[in-house]
Amino acid sequence: MNLSMVEFLLQQTWQAIRRNGLMSLATSSNMAVALLILSGFFLMTLNLQHMADVEARKANITVDLEEDADAAGIEAELWGDMRVGEIRSRSKEEALEDYAAIMGGGDPESFVEALGENPLPDAIIVSPKDPQDMAAVADVARNIEGIAEVRYREQVTGKLLTLAHGIKIAGVVAAVLMGVATLLIVSTTIRLTIYARRREIRIMQLVGATNSFIRLPFILEGAFHGVMGGAVSTILVLASYSWVHAYVAQHLSFMELVYSSTFAVLFGLGAMVCGILFGVVGSVIGLHSYLREV
Amino acid sequence: MIHLQGVSVVYPDGTRALSGIDLQVDRGEFAFLVGASGSGKSTLLHLVYRELTPTEGRIIISGQDVAGLPRERVPYLRRNVGVIFQDFRLLPDKNCWENVAFALDVVGASRKEKYRKVPLALELVGLSEKEQSFPNELSGGEQQRVSIARALVNNPAILVADEPTGNLDPDISWEIIQLLTKIAERGTTILCATHDRVIVDGMRKRVVSLVGGTIVRDARGGGGYDEP
Repeated sequence: MNLSMVEFLLQQTWQAIRRNGLMSLATSSNMAVALLILSGFFLMTLNLQHMADVEARKANITVDLEEDADAAGIEAELWGDMRVGEIRSRSKEEALEDYAAIMGGGDPESFVEALGENPLPDAIIVSPKDPQDMAAVADVARNIEGIAEVRYREQVTGKLLTLAHGIKIAGVVAAVLMGVATLLIVSTTIRLTIYARRREIRIMQLVGATNSFIRLPFILEGAFHGVMGGAVSTILVLASYSWVHAYVAQHLSFMELVYSSTFAVLFGLGAMVCGILFGVVGSVIGLHSYLREV
Repeated sequence: MIHLQGVSVVYPDGTRALSGIDLQVDRGEFAFLVGASGSGKSTLLHLVYRELTPTEGRIIISGQDVAGLPRERVPYLRRNVGVIFQDFRLLPDKNCWENVAFALDVVGASRKEKYRKVPLALELVGLSEKEQSFPNELSGGEQQRVSIARALVNNPAILVADEPTGNLDPDISWEIIQLLTKIAERGTTILCATHDRVIVDGMRKRVVSLVGGTIVRDARGGGGYDEP
């Protein structure tokens, strides 16, 4: 393919887009809306997952030991479980210091004096490799001899993970529906373009243009709608997301959103690639069902 | 150059369009294809530029059997077979020059090649002066000349003409046929389907008559519409 061929193809593509002005606008806009919705679901899922991960990393199991338990033996037994990622022991003195700190500081000794003795047990802190295994590891710990109590915070992590999972499913369903709608619209636009240019295509066939040469401008047209839709949706999504990020950082500081310039660039590229993919596949569908009849 | 051997065409609905056609047209030869509507003239031309494949028989174009030509090779055959029609088939939003250049654009010709070949083709058909005119600014005869220039710009060995004078008045028709004769003299094989009795009788060229899908007469040495 030489330079004048490329020039000719681009010229054909641009002409088709201009000639079908309104339809082209509708197609690019629809692509933008589809990508906007997909991006929304993607960002929600991503952030919930991220929050769940952050939360899960903090989460661990506290295993309270009985008074005269064999701490080393219990630790060894826990290490025997493949799902255990980290083990740390905490003496009753450390537990008391932690407690004192939580209660607003103060001298730990004063608590001992007040209570007569340190009531807190020695403990082992266990973190599973995968937060999902929290309950299973806790069960294993419960069955070991010499353990008084097993405690962990399952609620927050579990709920976040369930929510992220639900949104991911909803996102996939929405993605499929929007994807199908977008493909239909793109392929219809391409069919209209083909119809508008059927004389030209007929002549191209008669003077010996190859099929791929005839198809290329339509595929480029689909890709154009993808790029336009991707660009518009990226601008809208990133603008509103940076606003949300700023708001969350200021008012809901316990939440942490995924946000960086690398992320913004990757996100934009991703939206663009998705758009181009939609556009090209839509064109191919339109061409496939129509071009052979021309 | 064009060689049909035992060619039959049966359409999917069972209509027999051509049966047992044997026809050979040599390089630089000019042959008329005459017959009533539905006699199979257009079907025969369609076979030559592979718009249609035969149900039976072989079609040799420039030494190549095109009946079994794979789909993706068809464009390359078409670059060697120019086609013109009764309705000219020009693109209304392109001027003469662009209409002719279009045939070069779609086969990937370079800019240099276009600027060399388009003026030559327009000169051959006598339209150098009107290269900037759009089809709606041209007479029917001029439009047909543009379409001939477009068909010839790739230097095909064969030119197929399907009722080229069907939309033109007698004087202009005569000019177009004279132009085609001149092109044949340069070595292009021409197969021209027509209804135009006056032209055929006046030219005394080879005449192949079709009736009901079979060749009933082949006046190889030249003849009239009805009589040898």
